[in-house]
Amino acid sequence: MLLLIWAPKVWHRLSPLKPPALLWTPGGEAVHVRYRLLSRQGPGERGRQTQPQGPGFRTRLLITGLFGAGLGGAWLAARAEKERRRQQQRTEALRQAAVGQGDFSLLDHRGQARCKADFRGQWVLMYFGFTHCPDICPDELEKLVQVVQELEAEPGLPPVQPVFITVDPERDTVAAMARYVQDFHPRLLGLTGSAEQVAQVSRSYRVYYSAGPKDEDQDYIVDHSIAIYLLSPDGLFTDYYSRARSAQQIADSVRRHMAAFRSVLH
Amino acid sequence: MAAPSMKERQACWGARDEYWKCLDENTEDASQCKKLRSSFESSCPQQWIKYFDKRRDYLKFKEKFEAGQFQPSKTTAKS
Repeated sequence: MLLLIWAPKVWHRLSPLKPPALLWTPGGEAVHVRYRLLSRQGPGERGRQTQPQGPGFRTRLLITGLFGAGLGGAWLAARAEKERRRQQQRTEALRQAAVGQGDFSLLDHRGQARCKADFRGQWVLMYFGFTHCPDICPDELEKLVQVVQELEAEPGLPPVQPVFITVDPERDTVAAMARYVQDFHPRLLGLTGSAEQVAQVSRSYRVYYSAGPKDEDQDYIVDHSIAIYLLSPDGLFTDYYSRARSAQQIADSVRRHMAAFRSVLH
Repeated sequence: MAAPSMKERQACWGARDEYWKCLDENTEDASQCKKLRSSFESSCPQQWIKYFDKRRDYLKFKEKFEAGQFQPSKTTAKS
């Protein structure tokens, strides 16, 4: 289309030059002819003999510019629309995940049945471990509790619910969990259940666990992946913190997530 | 068998730390630390003792490794 704007003029320009072109000698003549052609396309067209047919140079430039701007605008609009649709799809996927995935049905340390929906509207810091754990679980729980306490002390921040889920359902009964959690924080909630229920929640949160060999006392250590999980008030997995992160780093991260949070469930 | 309470855990860790301090002072010579060893063994469940022993081995190995005592072999000759 641009050619249509430019071509007639170019054609018109070139036609009177054709006979002299036949007489060109290479070098000087050709340069001279080209200079004349270009100078004719300049804004000062007033003194010329042949009248231009069609719009002037400035007008052509303006039309091309407007056309280009129009194309650019259409492209930007299409891009924005694609982005908006992508965001919508993502929100919808998150909504489905919030409702459908990671659900569990466990007993808390008071014997009450709990499922994921019970925690909707709260930020949750979750840790998987077992009560017979030699050192790692107590350390990690202490760290988790420290984070909760630091955030509790800040006015204006929503309370964080600490949760401890056992990977040793055989030994960690409701009573055992009650004895264990009292040592850490009054709001620390212990969750246990049957072997299948624990297997299901561990699968949902991608937690590895494997009970080791039993000794003469029937005691054993459960090997398990070590991480503190952060769940948003929508129940979506938001972040995780390894053993290497300090309580301060975790608290800062939780604060950042809280500030950035936008619910997908209403 | 019930899990150790917080107090029992802390007693166990204290005994372990004493025993390990003795080992540090005697360059891993366990014969010099027999009393602390038996105190450690009575404060902690057996599984934990095995676990802490393995942990000690690992921490010592890690120290040596980080100090560069294990170097890759210079030649590619089969060892």
